[in-house]
Amino acid sequence: MISVRGLRKHYKVHKRPPGLKAAFRSLFHRDYTTVKAVDGISFEIHPGERVGFLGPNGAGKTTTLKVLSGLLHPSEGEVTVDGHVPRHREAAFLKKIMLVMGQKQQLLWDLPPAETFELNRAIYDVPPEQYKQTLDELVTLLELEELIQKPTRQLSLGERMKCELAAALIHRPKVLFLDEPTIGLDVSMQATMRTFIKSYNERHGATLILTSHYMDDVAALCPRVIVIDKGLLSYDGGLEALVQRVRPEKRVVFRLDQPVEAERLTPLGRVVSHEPTTAVLQVPPEAVSATISRALANLPVTDLTVENAPLEEVMSELFSENKARRAAAAEVGA
Amino acid sequence: MLRRYLRLFGVQLRSSSLLAMQYRGDFLLEGLISIFWTFTALAPLFVVYQGRKAIAGWSFEEALLVVGWFTLLQGVLEGAITPSLNGVVDHIRKGTLDFVLLKPADAQFLVSTTRFLPWRATNILTGMVIFIYAFHQMGRGPSLPGLLAALVLLGTSTLLLYSMWILTVSAAFFVVRVDNLTYFFQSIFDAARWPSSVFKGALSVVFTFIIPLALMTTFPAQAMLGRLPLQALVAAVAGAIAFAFLSRKVWLRSIGHYTSASS
Repeated sequence: MISVRGLRKHYKVHKRPPGLKAAFRSLFHRDYTTVKAVDGISFEIHPGERVGFLGPNGAGKTTTLKVLSGLLHPSEGEVTVDGHVPRHREAAFLKKIMLVMGQKQQLLWDLPPAETFELNRAIYDVPPEQYKQTLDELVTLLELEELIQKPTRQLSLGERMKCELAAALIHRPKVLFLDEPTIGLDVSMQATMRTFIKSYNERHGATLILTSHYMDDVAALCPRVIVIDKGLLSYDGGLEALVQRVRPEKRVVFRLDQPVEAERLTPLGRVVSHEPTTAVLQVPPEAVSATISRALANLPVTDLTVENAPLEEVMSELFSENKARRAAAAEVGA
Repeated sequence: MLRRYLRLFGVQLRSSSLLAMQYRGDFLLEGLISIFWTFTALAPLFVVYQGRKAIAGWSFEEALLVVGWFTLLQGVLEGAITPSLNGVVDHIRKGTLDFVLLKPADAQFLVSTTRFLPWRATNILTGMVIFIYAFHQMGRGPSLPGLLAALVLLGTSTLLLYSMWILTVSAAFFVVRVDNLTYFFQSIFDAARWPSSVFKGALSVVFTFIIPLALMTTFPAQAMLGRLPLQALVAAVAGAIAFAFLSRKVWLRSIGHYTSASS
């Protein structure tokens, strides 16, 4: 469905040191530097897959999505989406895809969302019958009944985002690129969006690429993740396997009947947190059962759970690992 | 293809009208302001023609026709061209042009038809009133071929204005902020209120060939007076088409240059 081979996207940007003097100088003479937003990544995505792009800010995720949707021309490499070369921007290609950006909106600000839907229907040539059906479905699933006749500027962020998503799906795209679709939304609205996106993928077999800073989004939606860091692909595979690789240790959470001293916990494993009646320990996976039986024997345990480390922590560990590796490589090179 | 774009045009026009009706007060005010500006535009003419019979071969009444065309075209420019294309500059700065480029329809068409200010039609009516007054003062009417030629020239002038705006807006892809450029364009357009023969030397070359203001207001006024040679009419049509073609090429190139604002 989507094939990316050796994709590079380099920008030339004008670099200016801070200060008034430098600003004045830059009116006459500008220094340019090349920013390697994406520096040689390759992957394949099959029809109907849900893939999460992970990476710190400025890693090249959005750039990659924009290249895939034909907005940016790659500097190097081959990209095809359902047999089309995105940068040619053929109508047939554009009718199959959509890019939803949490930070930018396409809804007409002063008019109700229904007007944007109508405009998109005309632009995408959606047959009346299909339009009605799609709209009914979107209105029901996203609970838009009350919203689509109100001017967009009167909607809350969450309501607007739901309408934004609906506007993007009027033409039933086969490939959906979602760039931080849940940014700034409250927890329950995030959950609504997730459920809806997942059901869209399941009902229409649409292929889906998602970037998000909320790990919960990725964990709930994407069985497969692609990690991009500094324009390079650093991992491609299952989310579970990534966690196993970066942070194989498990967390055992104990709820205690009464407070215990810290010294009684330390022999069992690394103490992550210790509150009067809750303690979280980190132990190697093979030591989990031994730790649990020792704890049950020695501590007033009322309840316990075994968990993976939070995804946020796993990711930040992965990114700092990558950073250290790059620094080491630079030192060897120098 | 044509039918599809006509339908799209209809939909865009519909949302513009909805918008216009939503902000009634605003648009009423704009209509009043545009009438006020038309009369201020006439003031210099009265000053210049005080105690003079003709300037550069144009009598007061004939020069009024030029002002009439200027007013009418200003209505076209500010009612149908500027609102949409100013939106492009915003789109480029905010990065929302992404959404336009993602649509399976011509991007230039989409950005050129997003917004119309129907109230600016008052300028067109004022232009007509000026024509009627000027001919009344001359004690005659325009000839039928002259009127037809003037109608053709209305088309070419609109095309020229539109193409010049497209060129200006294309610059936004490279420099991002083009507010000054659009002001510059509007100040230059102001020169079109005078018959082109008023400008001598280098200015006349600039206003005829580089920024074809003469074609826009002087030619149709001459046509109404029955003084426009046929060659000039043909040249105006050919010139306008060539200009439109050039602006289209530049637009297409500029789009390739779009880097999109980062999220």
